[in-house]
Amino acid sequence: MRVNKLILYNFRNYKQLDQNFDNNINVLIGRNAQGKTNILEALLLGSLGYSHRSGNDKEFIKWNQENTSIHIEFDRQSIIHTVDLKFNMQNAKQLYYNRFPVKFKEFIGNLNAVMFSPEDLLLIKGAPALRRKFLDSEIAQTNRYYHHQLLKYYRIVQQRNILLKKIREKKAAVHLLDVWNDEFIKYAAEIVSIRQQAIKKLSMLANLMHRKISDHQENLKVSYLLYDGNENINSSIYYELTNLHELYKSKLEQNREIDIIKGSTGIGPHRDDLLFAINGMNLKTYGSQGQQRSGILALKLAEIEFIKAAAGEYPILLLDDVMSELDEVRRQQLLSFIKDRIQTFITATDKNLFLDFKQAVFLQVIDGKVLAMN
Amino acid sequence: MATTSPLTKLIEQFRSLPGIGAKTAARLAYHVLSLNKEQVAALAQAIINAKEKITYCSICYSLTDKDPCAVCSAAARDHTKICVIEQPQDVAAMERTHKYQGVYHVLHGVLSPLDGVGPEDLRIKELLLRVPNIEEVIIATNSTVEGEATAMYLARLLKPLGVKVTRIAHGLPVGGDIEYADEVTLSKALENRREM
Repeated sequence: MRVNKLILYNFRNYKQLDQNFDNNINVLIGRNAQGKTNILEALLLGSLGYSHRSGNDKEFIKWNQENTSIHIEFDRQSIIHTVDLKFNMQNAKQLYYNRFPVKFKEFIGNLNAVMFSPEDLLLIKGAPALRRKFLDSEIAQTNRYYHHQLLKYYRIVQQRNILLKKIREKKAAVHLLDVWNDEFIKYAAEIVSIRQQAIKKLSMLANLMHRKISDHQENLKVSYLLYDGNENINSSIYYELTNLHELYKSKLEQNREIDIIKGSTGIGPHRDDLLFAINGMNLKTYGSQGQQRSGILALKLAEIEFIKAAAGEYPILLLDDVMSELDEVRRQQLLSFIKDRIQTFITATDKNLFLDFKQAVFLQVIDGKVLAMN
Repeated sequence: MATTSPLTKLIEQFRSLPGIGAKTAARLAYHVLSLNKEQVAALAQAIINAKEKITYCSICYSLTDKDPCAVCSAAARDHTKICVIEQPQDVAAMERTHKYQGVYHVLHGVLSPLDGVGPEDLRIKELLLRVPNIEEVIIATNSTVEGEATAMYLARLLKPLGVKVTRIAHGLPVGGDIEYADEVTLSKALENRREM
């Protein structure tokens, strides 16, 4: 997959941009607040339909302007496709695929992209929610059914939690919980089952990458941690859907009183976590800074392979300011993985990091303008 | 203080209706002004008439101008089958099929703790009172999270009463090609497959 052209109109600090990308590796160089990341954001919007930075679409519109648009031309299986996004101050965003208006669910996944930004460095050390988000967005990019089921699941949890609070305040009968429990079990089990299958593949790919990065010294294992209300269970034993049904059924029964007191649902996929282990040792607690970074790099590269396996082609790779966060060795490993097969967009402040990187095209970003640079 | 002009007032009235924005409201208002007085009176009268004469059927709680409604009082219909639906407008949709010969029961909503809707806010008690003379209850709530939960709730209540409880199928639209169906619909259709 390869982006040939990006046209921006009133997008963030760009009044107008019409940029062709002929090269595989495009390095955007510029000082802070010049608009480097805005270009990556526009490309990511073309893939996901929403931004990693902001939930408010109005922020995309250039100051004092009424509307903005993004047009991306890309090559998939040697055929040119286009995606367009239009935002204005009044209405909801409009999405187009090959110039026809489409719904959100038909929009995502046409252009595949993987973003690697400094926030990803928190993936191992940070809160479990980050890891769930990572896993969910990865599965959703290639499995629309999962995305749909996940939205329904969150709705059920929301309904169930409100009901729990009402029961606590004696405003609703306890037996009403039964139907929401049934719905909860059905969706929770399915989501966990899909996640476990994805983790199995991801773990294998990540290990392959990590062995390369660590010069075959270390093995990386990713496993799914199922939270049962007291502790995380390394969930390989609960693989079957029927087992998951039984587990959630009995746990919901057991936790009924606590759930009512707390007014929230204590178990389920929205509480689960991922465990990263290097040579059997927990990377979060015992891993060194460097091992954690290698682990994240391996995961990101695995994510690229994961999407390739599902979509049939490599996604585009967006590297937002991560080059300065990686040391020389890991930078080289990343660049040798990209080589000439993955189209990559890199933002950086310092061109000197790429001195030995001959194949790259350098673009200078100054105050909402992109200029060729040598 | 300046009073609002009658035209502005009319536009605002139209705007308060569902699905009508500022432009459509203005267009409707100008259209009303272009009609002659009799036409306008007929329109106004039709609105008042509908509001005054249409009530809920005391058996199925759908909308009707005479009680019980045409469906409930029709001898030709199968009064041993009840189709349970969310809203009165769903009756019209089911009737268009010309296939369903049973009677209806309108819940007037679905269970939704978020919106403060519990079983006591729906016409569920009234449904239970009808069940002794019934053989089958067909639950036709929507396939939203709330619709499914309501269906489940009704099934749990009704089954112990010895009545047959069924759920309408969700899946591929008729005439739809498999290759054009989206993944979610297709997965649902697979899940609800039946033996031949």
